[in-house]
Amino acid sequence: MFLVPRLRTLPAFLLSLFAVVLLAGPVSAQGHEDAQDVVHEEELDALHHSADGFYLDFTPGPKVQLPRIFVVRGEDGGLGFKFFGSTTAAVESGEFVAGAAHGEDPEAHGAPDDHGEAASTESAEAHADPLEAGIVPAHGEIVADLSFTRHTIFMMLAALMLLIIFLPLGAKYRKGIGRTSAPKGRLQNAMEALVIYVREEIAKPTMGDKYAKYMPYLLSAFFFILFGNLLGLFPFGATMTSNIAVTAVLAGFTFVVTQFAGTKDYWGHIFNPPGVPFLVKFIMVPIEFLGIFTKPFALAIRLFANMTAGHLVILSLIGLIFSFGQIFGDAVGWGTSLAAVPMTVFVYCLELLIAFIQAYVFTILSALFIGMAAAEHEHHGHDDHHDQTAHEKAVQVSSGMSTDGNGQIYHEPEKTVGTEAVLALAPA
Amino acid sequence: MTLLVASSLLSPHFGLIFWTLIVFAILLFVLGKYAWGPMVGALDEREKTIEESLTRAESALEEARKMQEDNEAARRDAERQAQSILRDARDASDQLRTEEVEKTKAQLAQMQEQARADIEREKTQALTALRSEVASLAIGAAGKILDENLDDDRQRKLVDSFLDDLPQN
Repeated sequence: MFLVPRLRTLPAFLLSLFAVVLLAGPVSAQGHEDAQDVVHEEELDALHHSADGFYLDFTPGPKVQLPRIFVVRGEDGGLGFKFFGSTTAAVESGEFVAGAAHGEDPEAHGAPDDHGEAASTESAEAHADPLEAGIVPAHGEIVADLSFTRHTIFMMLAALMLLIIFLPLGAKYRKGIGRTSAPKGRLQNAMEALVIYVREEIAKPTMGDKYAKYMPYLLSAFFFILFGNLLGLFPFGATMTSNIAVTAVLAGFTFVVTQFAGTKDYWGHIFNPPGVPFLVKFIMVPIEFLGIFTKPFALAIRLFANMTAGHLVILSLIGLIFSFGQIFGDAVGWGTSLAAVPMTVFVYCLELLIAFIQAYVFTILSALFIGMAAAEHEHHGHDDHHDQTAHEKAVQVSSGMSTDGNGQIYHEPEKTVGTEAVLALAPA
Repeated sequence: MTLLVASSLLSPHFGLIFWTLIVFAILLFVLGKYAWGPMVGALDEREKTIEESLTRAESALEEARKMQEDNEAARRDAERQAQSILRDARDASDQLRTEEVEKTKAQLAQMQEQARADIEREKTQALTALRSEVASLAIGAAGKILDENLDDDRQRKLVDSFLDDLPQN
């Protein structure tokens, strides 16, 4: 009964839930050790937990296997779809055998009885867990593995939540609530605040007048990443944004939008940089051309690395409990948890902040790249050095410079994640 | 082993790329059409409405202030006018009264003068009439005296008593 009032405040609820899980984790693991006394079972592999997998992990509950979908080229050379309800079903059908997938070393997820011989897959296959080691077709080869993974599920869950939240909101606005009247309800107010934030703090400063055209992309990216980040903070959740595949696709979208937004001036700056001596152009053009690709690449890596790192820190802190417990005994393990759990809660709160910051950073950088590409300006004369164009301003802003309105350039302090956090937290 | 697991973190799974591509493209389309479009449109419209109504309110306020100023000025003007009219009226009435008094005084004086003149004239007339009467009486008396041959003393006494009998004026 006393939980009911607590449920009303979502953050408090989340934290308490997380704390419960955190506290329950070590207890169950400790109990596990007493029962089985197997050291390997105790190991908490942070990297493995951050990685993707073909199952939903409800430890200490069951693992729920996800369906496997393959495009397979048979031995006769024909393409075919293969669908199985689970990895186990695929192996049991006899069409697939456990083994290394796509050139991955079978040792990668090494069971203790691995022989360490990369070539002798047959011996490894017999023992390896197909869920961890991957599966290969008994005959023919996999052309494309379209199987659902944990991150796929959470990616779709994030998308589904976006649809569930924003489609009714859109209908509400269409009906006139929030159009001619004030927004109604907490959800609409909260989401509207975020939407306005994206428009006022992200789109308008970076794109100027052209912002409206790119709002749908920026909003979709912002909320998709935000929801993906937040879902990873739930118990049994996984962070889809800590997967390079997801971030790469998102960065790819930014790349495509940027190229389509590109004006004549944008391409002109890349392939014929103005105001540059002829010979220097031979150096500048390849650099500018590479820049087209390095920007989204950096986007993908930044999001992936940030989201992975946070979870690795949390898992490592929890792992400390087990490491100390293993080395110095149970009592020390319990003692360590006294320090490790508060630290984990702190990092968890930090993660909550980072979930917002990284969604913000990805979106504002995307907006900046698109805005730079979409900027139009007059051609450079000999005497218009002081007349700064939107493009030049955007370039300067992106490189930490700014102008004071009279065309005078001054340096802004370099923005780091720390200042980003401060900026994000600062009241607008 | 750690290194190899880490490499699995960095090797993208094709299926995930495929599904993310599809899901995000759908998301972009559906949300763009049915959520972001109406939302951003509504926000723009609302902002425009608010801005417009603010501008309208401001202009209305300005108008009201101007109207109030006009009213105030008109009121002050009317007051001034009323005061001046009042003053004029008071002045006029004062003047009128003074004039009236002067006129009355003049009239009175005139009437007095006239009365005095009348009296004077009447008196002169009366005296003249009296003298002529006295003369004729004297002549009559003289005739009678002459008839009776009175002596000198008697004559004198007679005339004197006659003169004494005459009224002084």
